[in-house]
Amino acid sequence: MDYDPMAMDDVESLGPVVKISQADSVRVKFELSNVEMPFANSLRRVMLAEIPTIAIDLVQIEENSSVLADEFIAHRLGLVPLHAEGIESLLYSRDCDCDEYCEHCSVKLSLHAKCTGDENMQVVARDMIPVGDRINQVLGSPVITDSEGQGPLLLKLRPGQEIKLTCIAKKGIAKEHAKWAPTSAIGYEYDPHNKLHHMDMWYETDAKTEWPPSEYADWEEPPAEGEPFDFDAVPDRFYFNVETAGNLPPDVIVNEGIKVLQQKLAGLIHELAEGEGEANGYDGPRSPEYNGGGEGWQDQGYTTPYGGGNQSSYGGAGGTTPYGTTTPYGAGQNSW
Amino acid sequence: MVPNSTTKKQTPQEAGDDDISMSRPPASHQQPIGEEDASMADVEEEYEEGDEDDEEVAEEETQRVRLLPGSSPNAASFEFLDEGHTLGNALRYIIMKNPDVEFCAYAIPHPSEAKMNVRIQTYEGTTAIQALEKGLRDIQDLCDVVTDKFLDAKLQFLEDAKA
Repeated sequence: MDYDPMAMDDVESLGPVVKISQADSVRVKFELSNVEMPFANSLRRVMLAEIPTIAIDLVQIEENSSVLADEFIAHRLGLVPLHAEGIESLLYSRDCDCDEYCEHCSVKLSLHAKCTGDENMQVVARDMIPVGDRINQVLGSPVITDSEGQGPLLLKLRPGQEIKLTCIAKKGIAKEHAKWAPTSAIGYEYDPHNKLHHMDMWYETDAKTEWPPSEYADWEEPPAEGEPFDFDAVPDRFYFNVETAGNLPPDVIVNEGIKVLQQKLAGLIHELAEGEGEANGYDGPRSPEYNGGGEGWQDQGYTTPYGGGNQSSYGGAGGTTPYGTTTPYGAGQNSW
Repeated sequence: MVPNSTTKKQTPQEAGDDDISMSRPPASHQQPIGEEDASMADVEEEYEEGDEDDEEVAEEETQRVRLLPGSSPNAASFEFLDEGHTLGNALRYIIMKNPDVEFCAYAIPHPSEAKMNVRIQTYEGTTAIQALEKGLRDIQDLCDVVTDKFLDAKLQFLEDAKA
């Protein structure tokens, strides 16, 4: 097959191009061009929802005399960003051999605060102390970026009130719960002049004057006066703005996003390769009973009294009945 | 016991031809209660098999792509578990770019089921499975290139920042 999957349909087939316009510890802004929208969008979606990070998942409360309910505090704790450096060495709890959690699949943090003064006291993320063995010295520590070095405010205590609890932080992805999101937001835009008419701008009198131009408006040619609409045009320049929640550096998020996408693909390729090793990949709806049926097997999914045209196939239900002749679907059912 | 099951190492996939087809029995009897209830004979045999069988069951659970019934070499539908638009749209697009592919589309039949279906129809000369695999590899290559380009861009940015 002599075609280049990365080539654009237009003349200059250079393959994807990345240009970084701004980068610091919080965000990276870059332009991804010469790719198609489906890929750019996949990258965006995977960065948003499928990069593993670590977040508090279990909270064991020993003492809580604050005004806030236990579950309220537990929820707040879950949302505290934790450093995720080295997360790849941490196991998912569900994959770990331990009963509930252990140092291979979790990080333990302890929080104990009592207001002994006569002023209200603030309990902040810095007060959470990682305890026990960790994969490295930062994994699971609360992210602290403010100038006072306090971290997010967790709760306040009146004089005499006390909070004592243990948190178990586990690995997860944002598809399961947004607390595992590595990004606080991802900017994604294309076609700053709306040449493709993907947007329909609301206006009082004139859309041009009422809508501020995109910060990328200078990067692309504005449409010429009276230019006819190009029905074949597709977007090919995408402006990303990846802003981290603090758990991973922004450039790492981009790399991890691509990595997750590739792992996904590699897993599927591996599975397909396994499937091809079988005698006939297409014998899904075919089984010994059907072979004698005389009809084209393609019909079977819809016409048999088994009725399950949408089921039976490709290893799906079959795995546990490889011992053919003793199943109730014996050879005697050829007539089906 | 069926002769094949005495060979402990054999998985259903590797077993003889008879067993392969039997490993995909007709659907309806097994829905929705599952294989365990389909036949007591099966259940007993599984227990005899012991650990080996447990592993098989586990493998079966992680099978994330399967061929839907009614497929032929040139026109097939696949069902992906735990995949969504993230993979679906990119895959659909890249497969459609393959000139040997006549048609490719994807759908998420129901939003509360984590399933994604891909339909591929090819011209003569390739099969739908090959086209799918090629599509997956093409996205991988694309990812490789973007990774490299992003790294280059990062180094370039750092250099520019110094200057």
